[in-house]
Amino acid sequence: MKTKKISIAIGILLIMFNISCTELYDDSYGSVVSENFNPESEEDISALVNAAYVPWRKTMLLWNGVVRAQELSADQDVIPARIGIGWLDGYIYKRWHQHTWTTNDDSVYQSWSRTFEGINTVNRLLYQIDQGVIVLPDEDTQNVLISELKVLRASYYYILVDLYGNVPIVTDYSDTSLPQQSKRSEVFDFIIEEITNNIDNLSEEARGYYYGRMNKWVAHTLLAKMYLNAEVWKGEAMWQKCIEECNAVMASGNYNLEANQKNVFITENQDSREIIFALPMDEKYVTDWNAFDFHMYTLAQENQQTYDMAYAPWGGVCATPQFIDSFNPNDKRLKENYIKGQQYALSGEELSINYTNSVPSIDESDKDDGYRWGKFEYKIGSTNRLGNDFPVFRYADILLMKAESLMRSGQSGAGELVSEVRMRDFESAQEATVTDAELSMGSNYNYGRRDSYSQTYEGGSNITYGRFLDELGWEFCQEGRRRQDLIRFGVFTTKSWFSHDASDINKQLYPIPYDVMLTNSNLKQNPGYND
Amino acid sequence: MCKFYFFTHYAMLRYTLALLAVMFVCSNYEAQARVVDFSNQNAQEPITGTVTSEKDGMPLAGANIVVKGTQAATSTDFDGNYSLDAPEGSVLVVSYVGFATKEITVGNDRVVNIFLQVDTNALEEIVLIGYGKQKAGDVTSAVANVKAEDFNKGQLTDAGQLIQGKVAGLAVTNANGDPTATSSIKLRGNNTLSGAYSDPLVLIDGIPGSLNTVAPEDIETIDVLKDGSAAAIYGVRGTNGVVLITTKKAKGAKINTVEYSGYVSTAKIARELDFLSAGQFRELYPESDLGANTDWLDEITRTPITHVHNVTLRGGSSQTNYIANINYNSQQGIFLKSDNQTFRGRLEINHKMFDDKLHLRFSLLGRENKYTSTGAGSSFRPGIYYQAMRYNPTAPIKNEDGNWYQNISKLGYENPLSLIKESDGNVKTSEMRYVGTVTYNPLEALTLNGNFSLTREPSTNGYSETLNHVSNIRDGFAGYSNIGGYTDTDKQIELTATYDKDLENHEFSVLLGYSYLSNEKEKYNMNNYGFQDDYFGGWHNIGVGNALQEGFAGMSSEKFKTNLISFFSRATYSYKDRYLLMASIRHEGASQLWGTNNAWGTFPAASIGWKITNEEFMNDQNLFNEIKLRAGYGVTGSQPADSFLGIGMLKYGDYAYVNGQWLRTVVPSSNPNPDLKWEEKRETNIGVDFSLKNGRLSGSIDAYERNVVGLLYSYNVSMPPYLYPTIMANGGNMINRGIEVLINTTPVETEDFSWNSTITYSVNENKLKSLNGSVFKTDYDFFDTGDVYYEGQTTRSHRVQVGQSIGNFYGFRVTDVDQDGKWIYEDANGNPVAYDDFSHAPEDRHYIGNGIPKWYAGFNNTFRYKNLDLTVNMRGAFNFQIINEARMNFEGTQNGYRDNRLSSVTDKVFGKTTLSPEVQAEYNSYYVEDGDYWKIDNIALGYTIDKFNTEIIKSLRVYGSVNNAFTITGYNGIDPEVNTSGLNPGIDRREKFPTVTTFTLGLSARF
Repeated sequence: MKTKKISIAIGILLIMFNISCTELYDDSYGSVVSENFNPESEEDISALVNAAYVPWRKTMLLWNGVVRAQELSADQDVIPARIGIGWLDGYIYKRWHQHTWTTNDDSVYQSWSRTFEGINTVNRLLYQIDQGVIVLPDEDTQNVLISELKVLRASYYYILVDLYGNVPIVTDYSDTSLPQQSKRSEVFDFIIEEITNNIDNLSEEARGYYYGRMNKWVAHTLLAKMYLNAEVWKGEAMWQKCIEECNAVMASGNYNLEANQKNVFITENQDSREIIFALPMDEKYVTDWNAFDFHMYTLAQENQQTYDMAYAPWGGVCATPQFIDSFNPNDKRLKENYIKGQQYALSGEELSINYTNSVPSIDESDKDDGYRWGKFEYKIGSTNRLGNDFPVFRYADILLMKAESLMRSGQSGAGELVSEVRMRDFESAQEATVTDAELSMGSNYNYGRRDSYSQTYEGGSNITYGRFLDELGWEFCQEGRRRQDLIRFGVFTTKSWFSHDASDINKQLYPIPYDVMLTNSNLKQNPGYND
Repeated sequence: MCKFYFFTHYAMLRYTLALLAVMFVCSNYEAQARVVDFSNQNAQEPITGTVTSEKDGMPLAGANIVVKGTQAATSTDFDGNYSLDAPEGSVLVVSYVGFATKEITVGNDRVVNIFLQVDTNALEEIVLIGYGKQKAGDVTSAVANVKAEDFNKGQLTDAGQLIQGKVAGLAVTNANGDPTATSSIKLRGNNTLSGAYSDPLVLIDGIPGSLNTVAPEDIETIDVLKDGSAAAIYGVRGTNGVVLITTKKAKGAKINTVEYSGYVSTAKIARELDFLSAGQFRELYPESDLGANTDWLDEITRTPITHVHNVTLRGGSSQTNYIANINYNSQQGIFLKSDNQTFRGRLEINHKMFDDKLHLRFSLLGRENKYTSTGAGSSFRPGIYYQAMRYNPTAPIKNEDGNWYQNISKLGYENPLSLIKESDGNVKTSEMRYVGTVTYNPLEALTLNGNFSLTREPSTNGYSETLNHVSNIRDGFAGYSNIGGYTDTDKQIELTATYDKDLENHEFSVLLGYSYLSNEKEKYNMNNYGFQDDYFGGWHNIGVGNALQEGFAGMSSEKFKTNLISFFSRATYSYKDRYLLMASIRHEGASQLWGTNNAWGTFPAASIGWKITNEEFMNDQNLFNEIKLRAGYGVTGSQPADSFLGIGMLKYGDYAYVNGQWLRTVVPSSNPNPDLKWEEKRETNIGVDFSLKNGRLSGSIDAYERNVVGLLYSYNVSMPPYLYPTIMANGGNMINRGIEVLINTTPVETEDFSWNSTITYSVNENKLKSLNGSVFKTDYDFFDTGDVYYEGQTTRSHRVQVGQSIGNFYGFRVTDVDQDGKWIYEDANGNPVAYDDFSHAPEDRHYIGNGIPKWYAGFNNTFRYKNLDLTVNMRGAFNFQIINEARMNFEGTQNGYRDNRLSSVTDKVFGKTTLSPEVQAEYNSYYVEDGDYWKIDNIALGYTIDKFNTEIIKSLRVYGSVNNAFTITGYNGIDPEVNTSGLNPGIDRREKFPTVTTFTLGLSARF
């Protein structure tokens, strides 16, 4: 009898435990099943939509991003190996400088993948709006948002058409087939079409909610940039169209030049009326390790005491001595945009560092060699991240784009516009003034190989509108764009500087990254690179 | 949420319950009848006596004695004594594992001493097969069994090391010398890339655990289920094989013993790398001479002392007994502040009631572990050893002002001794396992078993750096402190019913079972800095750092929950003890696949055996005692390790600036893949077990083919259309083929001297058959993976390609140097290219080696002369290559960082000239070396005394041993035994904690 009771007891127990289910857990913590997140409030929608802007700051500023792709391949800046300190990094910076990058260098990969992240995010959001996952209060709001996203997507393609040229145009999130590659000219047309089709819907609000976003004026500036480079990117000059876009921005009255160029680059620069499109940054909220760290990768370790920085900086990038030599010594921009000479601690104490305008070669340099980047203000007590907003487009550029277009289309007025920008940089108005004729002269830049290995003297006098190129260099150094300008002036692959010898014209485009080629066999490698 | 599969599973559940119910009902009547019968036994004086081994007179504890044809049974106590009611004329059947079963007819003498003969037939031994046991002779799949007396001896920190080199096909690797490291085990090659279970399933008395859950001293046997047909009963968890650890048990009728064992050991680096001394460095780099003479490696190294103590108590009767085990293990590593202390306690209580029909077992296992941290949440910070290697030997340890010498200009350059001295912390982990088992035998043939366990492992860690730590001097992290921890909770319920029946010529058993496992992980971490001094703050008072006020302190927490639900069944059948059959099936659901269309999977297996020696035509031969042919096929699988990969999920992304405020963005968390499903491993195994010359020579040979279909991996995909550049998908098919041989011999056996020897051999070939599936839309049949590190640079190290083996190195091939000391490469077409003309494009790479050994061998010998025994265990791995990161980092002549160099920096490359200083550090074939090795791994010499004049002590053994004693190899690094798992095997990391040679003196005694 006993055993029977036990059997029953065990049987009951078994049943009790067995009821415990055949159900698999579906508890997620810290993430939410997409279908369960129904954005309703303005904040919810902003949280979704603004994700599309985040890749801009990443692709521009993170390690080996667009800023470096534009600067380290060009004639103003170099990261030389610093003996006993570092910056060899598998010679990636040397290859950047000498245009010998390989298809699987990080320098080639990062700008591609981070930029496509932006395009993907836009496509996803457009799809979600289309599917009613993101429901907006009214149709007008929805149309404005759709237009904004499309122009934002075009702005990512602006980066790609410049760096890689022949890239796939992807607009449909739900299409999961492998994208087909488009020609550079088709990408160009796509960008123009997207912006012109949507620009009328965009907000005219230049600041406030639309600061750092695609408002109408950013769109006009973007168009101006496209037309300015049309000859290279499309094979067809469009100077007049560029002038029209610049005029639209100028006529809006939303922007003006800062009295002092430095004001554009101060820590609290978000109210600057010179800024048209900025990437908002913050040392607390933007937490990627290399979010914005010009100070970390240009200053020598000793400068930690100059700015009372939390971290000892790493001392890498400096200006090429030849570029520094091209400045008019009275140009305030030379003084204010570079850190040079004897360095001092915040307390005034002399530091054992004295920056000189000489660098032996890309393979060898000391901690003192080369002038350092100092255009952006380095806040006293900085962490490893700067909080200055990064201006992608600013009003001075509008003036200079218009000037360049006027000059190149044989119209007068370039000198006046350039002088307007220069006025704040010189004590004397006479020195600040530059004429149309002067601008069409050759460059002051003393091109030629110039390092401890070899010395050649090419000069810049044979560069058409070389002086105008100089103006762009002096005004926009350290802003992540020099390569684009050099290409437009035919200098990028034809001149030598520092440890760089003239390369070949195919290097005007970066190759499609190796890892990307491997995942999509529709892609054909850019000319001049191994397929 | 069970909407779609609700029906199937509830149907299955009902089916199981119904069957169980029927079994109960059937059983009750029969059981009652027997109870009555049993109570009518006569009340004579019980038979008593001792069971001893005939060979050496040693008492046999736990021998079983049954009165033939009745239920009356007992087992011997620790001294071999027994007591049993048995009428005159009845027959006692005495059995003991490893001895021939003996039958004795009871005469009128009430004292019967029994001597058992050693049964050298290994196939009679009992092995575990999962949810049950079987005679080795009846097993139809590839199963290996290692007993305590055959374990490796010396300073062994986990179960893996006990059986290293003892099981053919089981590669146990001790890839580093950190005292907190556990050995990594791999069975039959790599079989999954991203599955939830990448290592063999380790079960401790049926409950999942790890190799270091129980103390090595507390283990009685280890069984290894190698092939798919054996492991399939454990379903997906068994896909990489199963290691069954059985702890020591209390056995017998009157039990009362105490055992002590302990040892002390020390260690040294297995082989020190030869770096430049201060003088040599000075000569080579006069401009970097800092004037001092420092041997940095020496500064951070010590002579470690490790001691281990183990006490086992056994007590009770055959009705209720217990075993208690206490183990204390205090290890020091060769580097300062590298250590590991573990205290383990285990208590197991067995209780039999209702005429031994109900068996209750309760066990409690506790583990307290603590080790010092020199990095947040870590043990010994690996970077310290790397710093000691690279650090300038002419740099002083401290400046004249008494502060540490530092050079913070140099990226990532940190005084190694300061890293040790200016940091402190520890990691403390407790583990409690509660296990309850109810076994009920309503019928002799029917066993119902319920197994319930709860394991909770909370761990906390705390860590602080002082204001003198380089993190403050360089990065402003004043007094950086971190606290964190996790709690891991596992629950398991397993219900099984087994029915065994012997009919004439037919023997069969049926098993039905249900299993429910759940795991819950909770983690948290916080850090802070900005402490004013080293007195008030730190990790014991983490809130007072200023970084919290300034918004830079960090805080995070996570939680994950998964479960795995299974129904399973197995049947075995044997006809005339000649033809054997086993078949099993397991139906399993995993929460990781929730949201996909394939959350549930079914995994069948079958195996057959033929005992040739039991055939009539074999009756006349005397050579073979046993020959058994086996063949099996089994399907196991693996779910992905992470949950929610099948459906779109949202998470918080980075902040975005919206109208003057910073707002968290919401972004998708991964590329969803609704087609995600079980990875399946289909394995065929054929084998033979044999024993001849009365067991003097025995062994087994197995051949297998493992086909992994739908390999889970995070494959690179085109972005767009995908949101992220990788997606978890079932993309490839991989095949592993191999042969395993195990041979046991006793070449010499005399009264005073014996020599036992075991030889293991295994060969495995691995090939990727295809890359396919929904995510592959490219023409390329390969992808690159793995990383190597050298002088601030990282490069892909391996290529996985269809038709090739996993573990292939892929990089530039250098064939020679020119007279300037610059490499001459081989380009894509096989032509030589000079250094200056070589583009270093990815297309110029070649296959330059493979990191997975093709074959392993082991040769274990035990010699016994009277009371003296000597064990020499050797093992080796062959036909593979190693990427020597230390040479890649420290042999280059360019030396842009002015780091210390290996003395081989001045060696002539290819015997011609030293490397040109213009040559950049890189990953190329010059740093790939053959890794073949043969290790004399374990040498132990012991002396046993078992005759004492006193009753207090029963036996005593002293021994000395050396582990990792000698290595014969052409490899230039510290130890050719490097990591062989994953997709990037064979990289000898520059910062790897060096492996050690240990020397041990030990003692064990029984009271």
